Formats: sequence, structure tokens, C-alpha cells
Amino acid sequence: MGTHLPTRLTTTEPGHLVISPNHKPWYEPPRWADKLIERLCAPYLHEEVMGDLHERYQLQVEKLGEKRARRRYFRESLAFMRASVLKRKPTPHTNPMLITMLRHYLITALRNTSRNKAFSAINVTGLALGMTCFLLIFLWVADERTIDNFHEHNEDLYVLYQTIHSQDGVIGSYQLQEYGSLEHNYYADIDVHLKDKFPEVLYATQYATSYELPWGRSLTLQYGDDKHKLNGGTAGIDFFKMFNYPLLAGSAENALKEVNTIAISEKVSGLFFNSPEEAIGQILRYDNGLDLKVTAVFKETDNRSTLQFDYLISWKNTVLDQILLSEGQYETYVQLKPGSNPELFAAKIKDFQNEQFDYTDGYRCDFGIQPFGERYLVSNFENGKPTSGRIEYINIFSGVAAFILLIACINFMNLATAKSLKRAKEVGVRKVVGSSRSYLIGQFLGESLILAFMALALSLVIIFLLLPYFNNFSGKNMTLPLDEGSYWLFLIGLTVVAGLASGSYPALFLSSLRPVRVLKGITRFGRSASWFRKGLAIFQFSLSILLLIGTLVVSRQTHYVQNKHLGYDRENVIYVKIEGDMNNRYQVYKERLLSMPGIAMVDRSSEAPHNMGFEMSTPFKWEGQQEGQFIGFRPTSVGFDFLEMMDLEVVEGRGFNKDIVTDTSAFMVNETALKQMGMTDPLGKWISAWDKKGKIIGIVKDYHIASLHEPIKPLILDVKEGLYFGIIMIKTQPGKTVEALKSLETATAEINPDYPLDYQFMDQEYAKLYESEAIISKISNVFAALAVIISCLGLLGLAMFSAEQKVKEIGIRKVLGASVNQIISLFSREFIQLVLLSFIIASPLAWYLMKEWLNGFAYSIPLAWWFFALTGLAALGIAMLTVSVQTLKAATSNPVKSLRTE
Amino acid sequence: MRRSDLGEFEEIVLLTVAVLTPQAYSVVIAEELEQQTGKTVTTGAVHAALQRLEKKGFLNSEMGEATAARGGRRKRLFTVTLAGSKILHEVRSVRENLWGRISPQGLPQLNLGTS
Repeated sequence: MGTHLPTRLTTTEPGHLVISPNHKPWYEPPRWADKLIERLCAPYLHEEVMGDLHERYQLQVEKLGEKRARRRYFRESLAFMRASVLKRKPTPHTNPMLITMLRHYLITALRNTSRNKAFSAINVTGLALGMTCFLLIFLWVADERTIDNFHEHNEDLYVLYQTIHSQDGVIGSYQLQEYGSLEHNYYADIDVHLKDKFPEVLYATQYATSYELPWGRSLTLQYGDDKHKLNGGTAGIDFFKMFNYPLLAGSAENALKEVNTIAISEKVSGLFFNSPEEAIGQILRYDNGLDLKVTAVFKETDNRSTLQFDYLISWKNTVLDQILLSEGQYETYVQLKPGSNPELFAAKIKDFQNEQFDYTDGYRCDFGIQPFGERYLVSNFENGKPTSGRIEYINIFSGVAAFILLIACINFMNLATAKSLKRAKEVGVRKVVGSSRSYLIGQFLGESLILAFMALALSLVIIFLLLPYFNNFSGKNMTLPLDEGSYWLFLIGLTVVAGLASGSYPALFLSSLRPVRVLKGITRFGRSASWFRKGLAIFQFSLSILLLIGTLVVSRQTHYVQNKHLGYDRENVIYVKIEGDMNNRYQVYKERLLSMPGIAMVDRSSEAPHNMGFEMSTPFKWEGQQEGQFIGFRPTSVGFDFLEMMDLEVVEGRGFNKDIVTDTSAFMVNETALKQMGMTDPLGKWISAWDKKGKIIGIVKDYHIASLHEPIKPLILDVKEGLYFGIIMIKTQPGKTVEALKSLETATAEINPDYPLDYQFMDQEYAKLYESEAIISKISNVFAALAVIISCLGLLGLAMFSAEQKVKEIGIRKVLGASVNQIISLFSREFIQLVLLSFIIASPLAWYLMKEWLNGFAYSIPLAWWFFALTGLAALGIAMLTVSVQTLKAATSNPVKSLRTE
Repeated sequence: MRRSDLGEFEEIVLLTVAVLTPQAYSVVIAEELEQQTGKTVTTGAVHAALQRLEKKGFLNSEMGEATAARGGRRKRLFTVTLAGSKILHEVRSVRENLWGRISPQGLPQLNLGTS
């Protein structure tokens, strides 16, 4: 005790002693007070304080007797309980660590940074790039996650779905057509019924749009002479109570409550009226026929919402069949009462249908619920339940973001370790002077933290510059939420984690150096250290190669789906939706168009040929159908010239012919349908769709009727030139698109003046089917490039280090007669080995992962060997290019210079 | 109050250290003061005053020898520094100066028995 103070025992003269040295009896002071002092007293004061107390106690006992002395002792002990004595610092000296040492570390770190400019630049740039990737991806992911999650009652909002098990398999969808009871099919008034049947349900609403494909379109709203084409939908009474689409006028309670009411957006209100308040109570004419009263004006739906509408019409009009729906189907949303258990509700509603009906043949219809906020990310039905969707891309990208950051951190680690050779002496001296290991660890971690913060600053600048472009191609409108304190916390947290992670190994490694060895000049590292560095480089390069292969496969597959020959010709086809008078005057329209310049052909179809989504199974019967055998057909009604226009091949029989009268009641099917029906010798056999029955006159060769994500489905075609919905397709003469569009505009204005022209190019619409793949492909290109750049920065650093370390070796070799080539090959061998090893590790992993991804497409490219070979060569090439500069510099240096100093 | 100022208790303790040197440490100082003033003086109060005085530079200290009464622990012995001596002299001269200037009417007479 007390060894940390320089002590000198004074010899005392006996005459001055107040207490005689042969003071014999020893009185034991109360124990507990001692314990207290021991606890609370600063350690360096402990000895004197305890001594004082005990000595005084002895005196007191003699003077006052033990009892009073004990009482005094208590007072005495308390008297020591003061700030100057209580435990605060371990030594009487002020601790220089905090200020002086920190400043010293900072100076050392900055000096080191500026001394090794190249290294520091590589370090900071690499880390900054990694952080940039991470932050950008994180922004994107966070943005994706906000979609549909902004509603106040988000927690209680659910979307219902149904899962039908039948002999044909399991089909899930968000439409609950089956919903009903023995007495009544409640599909149309499901909202009322749900609230009746299930006490948990607070609100429920239907929702459907009128503008989306397959047979929806933009419809008009008219006030006086003002008429505008708008995209809207229809919803139940509770809609505005459940969702946060803030109302500028009107109340959520009364909006859409009555029949013939409409809620319009601020934009629509602005088109017709001066202010939202003025709009309330006004009558708008819908689709040239139905008069609706405005009951509410809401704020525009923004891009955080998947429900997009300019107006909403009361569901009661839909029940009256006055509103066109994009499909005959709609989604149903419920809001549960606060605090109710969604699992209980899910369990109740699951078998609601099955309990009422005695389904046979293994048929059953389950209902399920999904949190509304998940609907955007998880909307693909697998095995009857929504289980996949965009969430997969979110996961992939989150993984990529983490990987890239990891690569950047490893870079940092590797370079810092390599550089540490130079700093070994510093560490030796520090240790000799008396620095403890923990101080050294603190110093090196601190340095990497400083660099990490520099990287953060740089990456924020980069993001600031890049964000507009990133927004542009990801189709979002993201900003850095720098005004939010929590985001700063996140940034700082990220930087600290990155800094600590990348500084950890160098710190532990450097602080473990033995000063004697280091100062003697033995600065070679053991094999394990060099292997660790190599291992890190290999890991890094494996990840890069993995990303490269992934990018290559994704972009090839994207290219493949966009350019695959689909079995029909989608070039030069424009289509418009059938609306207004178009159907009645179709023949006139067709004749008129055909007489105009640029138009090659005109025909119609109930569905756009590139994406025939409508599927039914029960309305179809055919000759030789087995009992209970159903096939999900894609029924499409077309015009007589459809086959010629789409350039479809007829493999058996013949196509529709307008000169044969009976052809209006004839059918054609594709090869897949034939196979699934199990029909042989099909020509002349009957088939029926709904109440239309007719003969099969021909078989169409299979072509892709929808996106390549799904296999070709059974197709059934017939001719109907009088349907009120669908599209009119116009084939333009090659290279005459401009003239064709002009003709189209003129003809449409003549024939259908109430409806402004609205047209689509089929090839562009087709490309839109793969929009998310296209975005993924673009994003992954960028990030793979970044990953490679970061890895190469790391390699560059290693090469620089290696060249520096071997400066003398090269000098000696040159003196002894080695040629430049020999030295280059000696140098490059090490790096080639690294890249090759990485390639060997990464390839099988990439093969497996890419196989999984391609499985998501019904039609995909094969995983060719050359993908891997190309990537390997590219990686090798890039790596060699990176190190070659260093190698060349080292190999051509003058040996005299390197050997002169010792 | 400036740090270098001397409190009343501090002054007395400082004087006592001067009196007891070279065997001035908290216990004997406390005993001495108790004897002189007739009031209870805790070692802790003295210890704190000593620490303050040392911080102000009026005292020096070093560890002394151990005694049985202290349970074998060493004591901290204090000596007055040059600065301590200076301030004591200053205080004293201020006091004496003031005393010297008190006119007979200035203080009510006390019957101290030694008239």
C-alpha cells in the first residue's frame, strides 16, 4: 500500500513523540467504520486516514473510556467523509491521459496521415466508397420500407387474401370472390359483413381502381365544359377513416357514405374549382354519364403509397354496376380494433368459408390476413400465400451493402497492418517509455476512428453529388435526412463500428509487438501475420468476383428477357384502349386509319398481347373433358387480323378468316392448352367458354403471353369484334412512327372526340414488365463496379507495401543480374496466386446463388462456363493492371539508390 | 475568496504545525487544538485543512514512521513552507498593526483579572 508515492521514512527524535512508543494496550476500534472507510476512501489516502483514526481512538479510549470513545470514533469517521478524501482518483497526481495524451494521439495520427499520403488517400477513399455504397443502399432500403407504412393505424391495418386448394393445385390472390355464406354471396358488401361477423374488425373497405390494365383505362370527370381524363378508383365508406390521405375539405365520416358521391384530390379540385371548400357539394359528371356529388377533397397521393388515385367513388355505385373496374376484382382491407389479437382474427377467418360449405374433392378456400404495410414488399403468391416479392431484392441489396462495407473495412485493415511495419519502431519506443498495451490499442483504434470520420465526411460529399443520379435511375425521390438527429446517430454509429472493425486487427497486432525485438531491428512478421493479410485479400477478392459474376448473370438475363424472341412481333405496334364510342365505331375507325399514312395494319384484342393476365378455369369445357378436370385458361378475344399482325405461327389447322361466317363462333388454342386438355386430333372438336360453344379450327404455336417469370399458360382465342373493352392495336410501317402517330391523333379526334388520345408502344410496355429487373441490373452494375474499385484499391496498397518491403531484395537481385522481366514476374506471381485462389473460392458460391436467382424465371439463360471464365480473367486483368504500376516502378528503380543506405 | 487566502481554522492549523514541527501530523494537531480551544476537533477536519493548505502551497508533507497505535500504518508529517511562513507573518503583522492602533475607548474593557 502506498507504493506509488515516493516515501522516505524520517527518523524521529524520541523527545518529540506525543505518543510513547511503548504504548502497550491496543484497543480494537469498531470494525464497521473501518470497512466503510476502506470502501469510500481514495486508495492513496487510505493509509494515513486509517492510521489517524486508529491512533486517535487509542487516545480517546484512554481519556474517555471505551464507550464514549466508540461514539467519538463514529464522529471521527464521518468527519473524514468529505470530498477531498472520498474515492475519486487513484493517485494524487492529475491524470494526463485525457487531455495531453489525446492531443498527442491526434497529432501523431494526423502526422501519420500526412506522411503516408498515398496510403491514407487509398484508405480513406476506399472506406468512403464503401460507406457511400452502404448509405445509398440503406437509403433505398429505408425508402422502400416506408412505402405503405405511413398510415397512422398502420399496426392495425391488414389486407385479406384467399387461398384455394383444389385438384389443380393451390392458388392464392388478394381477391376474395368466394367470400359468402349459404344464403348470400357477400363479396360485394364484404365490408359490412366483416364488421358484422367479426367483433375485432373496426373498419373494413373495398378498394379497386378503374385505370389499370387489363381492361381499365383513364376515365373522364366533367364540370361544365371542363373535362379531364383522370385515374381513379372506388372505395368503401371506411376508407378515409382507415388510411391517412388527409382531407382538405369534407370529413372522413361523410366521404363516400352515400351513393353517387365522390372524393377528389387537391389536383382535381384545382382543375375545376378555385378552392377545396368550393368543391364540396358540387356535381361532377363521371365518364360522360354518371353525376356524382363531391363530398371530400384529399391531398394528393404521393409515391409512398401504392394506392394511387385522383378520385374515389362511393362503393355503392360499384355495387350498382355503374363503375368500370380494372378487373372484376378488388382488394379488401380491414382495420382491427386497437389491442385486438390479429392472430386470433386470422384463425377465425381462416376457415370461415370451409365451415359453412361442405366442399368435396379436397377443395377448400382459406382466408388469410397480411399486414397492410407488407403488401408492397411481399406480394407474390407462392403456395397460396404472399411470401416473396420485392423483399428479396431488399435482402439481396442489404447483403451487398454489408459486403461492400466489409470489403472496404478489410482494405483498411490490410493496409494498416501492412503499414505497421513502419510503425513497429514507434510502438517499440512507446513501450520502452512506458506505454501500456491498452494505451497503444487505444491509440491505433483512435487513429482508425479519425480516418473513418474523414471517410464519412468524404462519403457524405459523394452522396450529396450522386444522389440526384441515383434518384433518377432508381425512380425515387430520396434525400439525406441530415436534419434528423437519429440519422446522425446512425452515421456516427456506423463510422465508429467501421472504424473499430477496421482498426481492431492492426491495433491488437501492433500493440502485441515485443519492443526488444522491434528495436533490435527484427521487423519481419511471422508467417501467420502475412497469411492473415493474404487471407483478407482473398476474402475481399472472392466477394468482388462473386459480385462480378452476379452482375454479369443479372445483366445477361435482363438482356435476354428483353430481347428474347417471344413468338410474336411486338415491334412497331402502338395500342390505344377502347373507350367511349370507340367500340361502336370500330370498323369506321379501322377503315379511316388504314387509309392514312404510316399505318400498316389495325386490329383489336381484349388483352394486350404482351401481358395477358386474365385467368379463369371453371367457364371452360371441352370434348373429352374429365370429371372435375379444370385448366386455368387465359381467354382472349381478338380481331380477324390478330394472327397476321402478331406474326403468330399456326402449327395445325388454320387461322381465323373473316370470309368464313362460322369463324365468329370458332376457337383456337395454343399447344400448351392442347397438351393440358389431353386432346388428340383437336381440329373440329368442340370447346366452350362461358355460354359460347364452337369448334377448334387451329392450333397456335406457343408464344409468351405474359412475362418470362411464368411459364406459357394455356391460351384460348376467339373472335369478338364488339367487346366494349380491350385495346386497338395499330401496326405502323417501319420507320414511319411519326406519321403514324399523327394519323392516329387525327382519326381518334374524329371518331372519339370525347376522349383525348392516349397510346402506348407495345415494346416499351413489354420492357416495363421487367422494370424492377432493369433497375436491379442497373444498381448492381454500379455496386459491382464500386466493389471492384475498392478491392483494387486494397490490392494497390498491398502492392505498394510489398514493393517497399522488397526494395533491397530487388536491388540485390538487379545487381546480381536479374532482368526487369524476371523481377516483374517474381512480383506478380504473389498477386496472381491471390486472385486465382479467390476465383476458386468464389465460383462455386456464385454458381449456386445465381442458379437460385435464375430459378425465379420460367425462362432463363443457362449458366455458361464463360461467365466464370470471363469474370476470372477480368479480375486477374484488373488486379494485374493495378499492381503493374507499382511492380514496374520497383523493377526499373536504380539499385544503387535502394542499396546505398543502410 | 481567493485560493491563497487563509481561513481562520486553516490559520490555526498552520500555526499548530509550526509549533509541533517536526512531529506535526493530523492526530497530534487535533489533540493540541482540542486542548487549546476546549472544543472537540475531529481528525478529519484537521486532515482536510492540512490537505487544503498543502494544495495552496503553505505546507509540505512526507510520510513518517509507523507506530503500533496506528496499527502499523505510517503517518503523514507536515512542515511549513516558505510561502506558509510568509503568509503567517503577513497575517500576524496585519493583526499586530490593527491591535496597535486600537485606542483605549476602542474596545470595551474586559475584566481579565490582570488589570
